[in-house]
Amino acid sequence: MKKISLLILIIPFLSSYGQTASIKGKVISDKAQPVIGANLILSGTNFGDASDIKGNFEIRNIPFGVYNLEASCIGYGKRIIKNITVNQSTKSFTIVLKETAFETEQVIISASKYEQKLQDITASTAIIQPDYINRRNFISFDDMLRYIPGVQMNLEQVSIRGSSGYSKGVGARVLVAINGIPLYAGDNGDVVWELIPLSDIERVEVIKGPASSLYGSSAIGGVINIITKSKVQSPVTYFKNYIGVYDKPVHEQWDWDNKYRTFYGVELTHSGTTENLGYTFSFKKFDNMSYRQNDYYKRYLGHVKLSYSLTPDNYLLFFSNYLYSNRGNFLYWKDSRNALVPKDDENGNYVLSNRIFSGLIYHHKFSEKLSGEVKTSYYRTNFDGYGLEVTSSTANLFRGELLTNYIASDKVILTTGLEAAYSDVASNIFQNPEFFGAGAYFQAEYKGIDKLIASFGLRYDYIKIDTLIGKNALTPRIGFNYKLHDDIVLRGSIGTGFRAPTPAEVFTSTAVGGGVGVKENPNLTSETSLSFELGAQYKYSSRINFDMAFFQTEYNNFIEPNLTKEGDIQFINLTKARIQGIETILEWSIIPEELKVTVGYNYLWARDIEKNKSMKYRPRNSVYAQIKYSPGQFDFGVDFRHWSRIEEIDNALVEPPLALVVDGDKRVPVYVTDITAGYNFLIWNIPAKIYLNAKNIFNYNYVEFIGNIAPIRNVSLSTEIYF
Amino acid sequence: MHKYFFAFVLAVLFCLNSCDTGIEPGEPIVPGGFSGTVTFSGTWPEGIKRTHLVVFKNPIQTTEDFFLPNLSFVVDSIPYKSSFYKFDSLEMSFVSILQLWPGEYKYVVVAQSKTPEISFQRKDWTVVGVYCINNDQSKPASLVIRSDQVTPNVNINVDFNNPPPQPPM
Repeated sequence: MKKISLLILIIPFLSSYGQTASIKGKVISDKAQPVIGANLILSGTNFGDASDIKGNFEIRNIPFGVYNLEASCIGYGKRIIKNITVNQSTKSFTIVLKETAFETEQVIISASKYEQKLQDITASTAIIQPDYINRRNFISFDDMLRYIPGVQMNLEQVSIRGSSGYSKGVGARVLVAINGIPLYAGDNGDVVWELIPLSDIERVEVIKGPASSLYGSSAIGGVINIITKSKVQSPVTYFKNYIGVYDKPVHEQWDWDNKYRTFYGVELTHSGTTENLGYTFSFKKFDNMSYRQNDYYKRYLGHVKLSYSLTPDNYLLFFSNYLYSNRGNFLYWKDSRNALVPKDDENGNYVLSNRIFSGLIYHHKFSEKLSGEVKTSYYRTNFDGYGLEVTSSTANLFRGELLTNYIASDKVILTTGLEAAYSDVASNIFQNPEFFGAGAYFQAEYKGIDKLIASFGLRYDYIKIDTLIGKNALTPRIGFNYKLHDDIVLRGSIGTGFRAPTPAEVFTSTAVGGGVGVKENPNLTSETSLSFELGAQYKYSSRINFDMAFFQTEYNNFIEPNLTKEGDIQFINLTKARIQGIETILEWSIIPEELKVTVGYNYLWARDIEKNKSMKYRPRNSVYAQIKYSPGQFDFGVDFRHWSRIEEIDNALVEPPLALVVDGDKRVPVYVTDITAGYNFLIWNIPAKIYLNAKNIFNYNYVEFIGNIAPIRNVSLSTEIYF
Repeated sequence: MHKYFFAFVLAVLFCLNSCDTGIEPGEPIVPGGFSGTVTFSGTWPEGIKRTHLVVFKNPIQTTEDFFLPNLSFVVDSIPYKSSFYKFDSLEMSFVSILQLWPGEYKYVVVAQSKTPEISFQRKDWTVVGVYCINNDQSKPASLVIRSDQVTPNVNINVDFNNPPPQPPM
């Protein structure tokens, strides 16, 4: 009897002892792409597997029991699934790993027209990963730029380290490129940020400082290079929508509408792949009532990208973006008592525009040492502004570039290129000028000395604007990167830059309201610069990184808008301007992949040497701080930015006798705080995200440009799914 | 721990931001005006194409000061060979974009030009009368403009036989 009882007791153990089962599943990214090579380990055991090319895994012969499953992969956050019961009914799992920012050593950038590690570059560079854009629900690319130390936005005009003030986007000093192809309009040279497809961004590279020796005229202040995503591994459809609302203004007398003003958007993107062809189609609609009267917009963006692999090393890449926009034309407030209302005679003005930007890149690898690219693009811009009179402009810009990279030896990499651009303009405000520019560039990187990387670049440009005399420019640059210690990297550069005036700066002749006009200036000439930078990166530990840079740029013939004695605005050449500054950035991963703090501080000393006063719209002090906390599937974040009060503005537009912008001298230091909360989850095995964003949570009123209150407190809810 | 860290950061930011709300509505400022009479004596020069009463914010130090932005207001053209001219700036603005904002204007003159078109060259203008103290044209008087008010009795005597000192040409 005892024996029978003992048998009854041990049978269950015997039946489970030696019984094994498997855990199967699939590892996908938060964008529904298979994660290849992810490590899957049962905690405290030797049982594990790696995901295959489709993200599938299977851990076999696991004794029955309860386990924790750890999933990890480089470039993704680690995930632990607790208390998995392994028995005969074990199910398969879909594990979603969140993409994380790469460590510095791993980032490869191509802003220097060849691929190099971020830690090897000779200029200050910032990298922005796409998850930051989604997490913060940035609707337009320029919204995101406001949070990068050293980058300043004055309304829609970007400035890196004080390179630009504000001139309604005309004559940008920062070259913005998509896959290395410049995105500036043929007439006024501005950048239309809404044309950039945010959902197709792989990364953004921001070079802080002149890059004319590689990119030519428009890069005198820096480069923002947007790299689009590479081919997906499996078909995926991305759907995003958001809806938001502006709070009431702080001051009751500003509440012009007595309603909550809303904004919303919807986006559908499908990417797929066949054996050789990768494709992406995207459509986006965004609509914003705005917190200001007559500041609404309705926009539609279409994006197509085709990537065809001729061989494993040679490919064709085609992309095309089309943007249609209908927006109110808010220029200045009526006065500070009516800060969200335009001037009476400008109320109702609107602008219709459409733009198409297409690029074709052919990449050919001749050998392990020699590769080349042909880049062509076409950018057509058209707008019609409706007010008391109709202003219109249509510009066609054609570009072509031939680029080669040659690895001459282990120590020398050579980059050479030829570039040409032509544009024609038909406009009743810019007249009908033609533009032609051509350039040739050469760059050598030398690694022959231990711990030292030296680079030398030289570019020649020829620019001809319509009937004006053609201008030549030669822009050399030298730079170095020296690993002083395992944890300390020094970098420095000195170089020249130049910027040719755009057709708009030379030929614009129109009224801007209030009886003030813009007057052409055929005598406008190119501005030139001499820049110097010295920086250091110090890696205090694997968690703390510190970067500091001192920079100085001397400008000659700096182009700025100016009030003439006839009462018109005209672009003129200032004799001299000097911009000096210090930039510091501290990154601290308090808990790796979970809690990270980034703090940046910039000191900028920008002077008009001729008049011995500050340059317009350049804050002397700016502070940026970000805290990102991502426990598990949650995301929390706080972003803070501060600018000191702008010292110099367009006084002539604000002060008597013109006083075009009543109370336009009202400006304050900027303090903006945003908060984010998000949750990543699976719905029917489909990765989904939901984010709540509250921007300008303290409803602080400030201006980036005279008479233009920046967005007041607003809250948005966005959802994304990948299926 | 992390929650406390977050709360601390938010508290600091709240303190930074709660001090003020940034830009606030200002008090309304309305342009003002002035009125008076310009009296002419002596013989008008030949060939005068235009005569204006002109208000400058500051005295003319350089030739550039004769134009914007120092040029603050221009009264309608005074008819040729007038013996006197009564004016009210609110009703007689020659340049519509210019308004007289409250403040002190230190140089108010009558100026003439012989060019067929309006000239922006200093040399093309002659100052023939100055709003001055005790009829001493070498001592310009200041014109004070108050918000939404008209400053009366801004009278200027133009004596073609006794021209005032000319500002820098």
